Amino acid sequence: MYLSRSRSMKLVLAIAAVFALAMLAGCGEDKTSTSGGAGTSGGGGVNTDAASLGDVTLTVWDQEVRGGQNSAMVELNKQFHEKFPNITIKRVAKSFTDLQTTLKLAASGPNPPDVVEANNGYAAMGPLVKANLLLDLSDYSDAYGWADRYSTGILKMNQFSADAATFGSGNLYGVPMTGEVVGVYYNKDILSKLGLDVPATWEDFVAAVEKAKGAGETAVQFGNLDKWPGIHEFETIQLQNVDKDYARNFIFGDGTPSFEDEGNTAAATTLADWASKGYFTDGFAGLGYDPSWQDFGKGKGLFLITGSWLTSDLGKALGDKVGFFLVPPPEGGSLASLGGEGLPWAISSKTANADAAAAYVNFITSDEAMQVVTDNGNLSASKAPVTVPAGLDTEVYEAWKKANDEDAIVPYLDWATPTMYDTSTAEIQKLMGGQTSPADFVSAIQADYAKFHSGAR
Amino acid sequence: MRSSTPAHAEPGVVAEPAPAELLLGRALRSAKVSRRDPPGEPRHVGYLYILPAFAIYALFVLAPLGFAVWYSLHTWDGLLPMEWVGLDNYKEIFRSGPLRQAFGHSLVLIVFYAVLPVTLGLIMVAALSRARIRGQAAFRTVLFLPQVIPLVVVAVVWRMIYAPNNGSLNDFLGKVGLGSLERAWLGDFNLALYAVGFIGTWVATGLALVLFMSGVQRIPQSLYDAARVDGAGPVREFFAVTLPNLRGEIAVALTLTTIAALRNFDLVYITTQGGPGNQTSVPAFEVYNKAFQQGQIGLAAAIGITLAAMILVITFGITRISERGRA
Amino acid sequence: MISRGEQVLNYAILTVFAVIALYPILGMLLTALGPPGESTGFGIPSSLHFENFRDAWNQGHFSTYLRSSTIVAVSVVVASTFLSILSGYAFGTMRFRGSTVLFYVFIAGLMIPLEALVIPLYFKLRDVNLTDTYWALILPQVALSVAFGTFWMRAFFLATPRSLLEAARIDGASSWTTLWRVLVPFGRPAILTMMVLVFMWTWNEFLLALVMVASEDLRTAPLGLAFFQGQHSSQLSLLAAGSVIVATPVVLLYIFLQRHFIAGMLSGAVKG
Repeated sequence: MYLSRSRSMKLVLAIAAVFALAMLAGCGEDKTSTSGGAGTSGGGGVNTDAASLGDVTLTVWDQEVRGGQNSAMVELNKQFHEKFPNITIKRVAKSFTDLQTTLKLAASGPNPPDVVEANNGYAAMGPLVKANLLLDLSDYSDAYGWADRYSTGILKMNQFSADAATFGSGNLYGVPMTGEVVGVYYNKDILSKLGLDVPATWEDFVAAVEKAKGAGETAVQFGNLDKWPGIHEFETIQLQNVDKDYARNFIFGDGTPSFEDEGNTAAATTLADWASKGYFTDGFAGLGYDPSWQDFGKGKGLFLITGSWLTSDLGKALGDKVGFFLVPPPEGGSLASLGGEGLPWAISSKTANADAAAAYVNFITSDEAMQVVTDNGNLSASKAPVTVPAGLDTEVYEAWKKANDEDAIVPYLDWATPTMYDTSTAEIQKLMGGQTSPADFVSAIQADYAKFHSGAR
Repeated sequence: MRSSTPAHAEPGVVAEPAPAELLLGRALRSAKVSRRDPPGEPRHVGYLYILPAFAIYALFVLAPLGFAVWYSLHTWDGLLPMEWVGLDNYKEIFRSGPLRQAFGHSLVLIVFYAVLPVTLGLIMVAALSRARIRGQAAFRTVLFLPQVIPLVVVAVVWRMIYAPNNGSLNDFLGKVGLGSLERAWLGDFNLALYAVGFIGTWVATGLALVLFMSGVQRIPQSLYDAARVDGAGPVREFFAVTLPNLRGEIAVALTLTTIAALRNFDLVYITTQGGPGNQTSVPAFEVYNKAFQQGQIGLAAAIGITLAAMILVITFGITRISERGRA
Repeated sequence: MISRGEQVLNYAILTVFAVIALYPILGMLLTALGPPGESTGFGIPSSLHFENFRDAWNQGHFSTYLRSSTIVAVSVVVASTFLSILSGYAFGTMRFRGSTVLFYVFIAGLMIPLEALVIPLYFKLRDVNLTDTYWALILPQVALSVAFGTFWMRAFFLATPRSLLEAARIDGASSWTTLWRVLVPFGRPAILTMMVLVFMWTWNEFLLALVMVASEDLRTAPLGLAFFQGQHSSQLSLLAAGSVIVATPVVLLYIFLQRHFIAGMLSGAVKG
């Protein structure tokens, strides 16, 4: 039964009516910026006497959800409240991925959290600075002396020009709490069973991986369903193939070097190679990050390439059977390690409690706080001296110290552009799944990078 | 007796609301009825009655729709002023490989969410006898359950099922000796989309089955008897009697499940976030991603409008095809 | 009469599909009761651990989320039911110019997906400072539910015997009294069906909550579960327990009122 003439007329009329009504509503839109005022530390001086601030509630968003990270946060929040009973901390903890997906919305909303952990570089901090959503912490830094706490390399990771055009210099927008370094956790039992020593060079490391695979072990425990762990695997290999200053300049946008470098292509080829040869966990593409390191904690896998944030959990799971070493450079090369700092603390430019927020940030990054952080199996970001628990914690700490002393730290690839996280994680998944060639992989990364730095949207 | 409304209602007789009637067909039919309609002189108070509902509807559905169209004609990052770009965003959807992929994926998912469940339901109904069996209500309750559970919960459970190492799917395959088929389902470049799609099949098949079971029980036995007299075997019976009379139910099932297929943000967010690579990207996820993560609001709005247009076109298509069979 | 063989076949087919439908759900329940740290595979747990629910409840703050979900769902149901009865009544029993076009405009809402609306809704509501409030969740969902509800109630009112309306008018009843005193009592099953469907759709809504709600206090249950999953993706028994908590209210409602749920879907509901 077809629509009769008059019925179809009515239908057309109705659709037209909906459309007209809708368009009428939409027309005349002149969207202006909804950013708040200037992103500076509020007119007038800063008040570092937090006890005098009266009753304040601070909303804090963090992603310190795993074992050692979480216990450190809980302890620090408790101590802070004891010291300043007038300030209540409302903590909202989410996984890294969930924080990524919800931070921008929340920060630009009407009631943004006062304090947030914002991923460095253009991944999150840059766009937030550009939108005037983060407080310039220079005044508080002067008042509390934050700049003295950290090495220049670390500070650089938290600096942006006010217009967010330059990353790595300018105003301070973030204050780090934990340090991070990506290295290799290894299972001592499996290593000795294979008759191997801790590899001293990259070549030794590769040989160990191959031997493990040959012996039927899972050479490199790995799970990439959450997408971001792939960055660690790729960049670890990349840093053995390119000059570390080049890698840093790429991420900071210093001179915007091209990603089309044969070192990158070689690294991509190696990664794809390793994946196809089965050096990684079977079915890694569908395995989550947490299940994968938990499997390592149950003794499955010789090596686990990941960051120092798992020290507490792996120490508990494997006791003295687990060790840690930095990825060794190729024969005759210089040490280059992925890492830097855990997500830094930033303050919303729209907060009504800037002083309280700054006092909180100051507290959780103070020298005393660094000891709490270390006690819970994390690395301290600052230069403050700490006593490190024996065992795995010390191994990781020594590695971190070495990386800093030798100026080996190179930050994460996804800091390079606002879309680099999406681009690189997807491309790495494709690369490791044999769906794209190393050359195409490199081009895709470069395309994203070039698009951002040319100013195109 | 089947209580559906015949195409030509008698004047003065108000149409009985029929179960499982096609939504639009019904609306159209009842609109026709309204010509001779609610009795009495015109009641202007009617406007007053619909005003509150219409006001909220206009404010929170129509107006946003208009704004969405407006945004889609601009480039906007949510912070700086908008820039007019006309149809560029729509062109981008056709031009951009990843976006074309996303829409392509949604078509694949329609097969899993809609076509497959409906087909399964029809096959089932063909096999089932039409007589009521004891405990039918209990079966219906169970079969319909997947439709009721929040999609987030469904996604969480299936993510567990698909886990490569401890997931029950791989476990099961191992136990029945099909260990070679074990996969990293949600991470497999070739299978991830189908793995996600199969979740949709699981959710939707119960709906189709329940719809068809009830529809079939409404078909008069006399039609089947007549067919049998003509010498029709079970297969012919199905195609000659069952299928045509289930037209309405099929249309409803297809419509409901197609819309669900296109609105599967929840599943993708929880299981794969569009990965591996872009293998499970879908327009619904891209709307959120582009608007709120990457600050490409105009493009995201265009994707949303395109999605709405797709639903409209497909729903109309289903209406047309199902109506065509009516005498 | 159906033969024995047919009967057996019927039961067999229905049972197979019922098992497939139930398996993931039962598996989730079993995992929720199992010892923490045990692998899945959905096996019978070696020991029962009801405290998983308590742990999930506390760690996952589900009391807050369930409360939020309830506030939102109940508000949406009450508001949209009231408004839909009114508008359905008008469309179903009254004649006025443009009613057909207006009705089509409502019907269009059944096909407009939230994905197309969520972006402008967010920015507009943010401009009036309504994001991160219950209003941001309630108002759009009332608007979408009203589209369905109007269609639904109109169908019901169209079916009421004219004689009833005539009698009421002759008795001098106003349209309002006719509606609430005479017609609505007849409409209880239809209204109840509409209410349970709207409740289900609202309870299960995720995208709107993800976009509109930033503060933890306002998180609805599905949103809470999504973040809980992110934090505890490898603590399967905990995660399963959380899932059970989130699904239980709507599943309970379904089991008690399943007649209405299914009847609603069977009668050509489109949303969802």
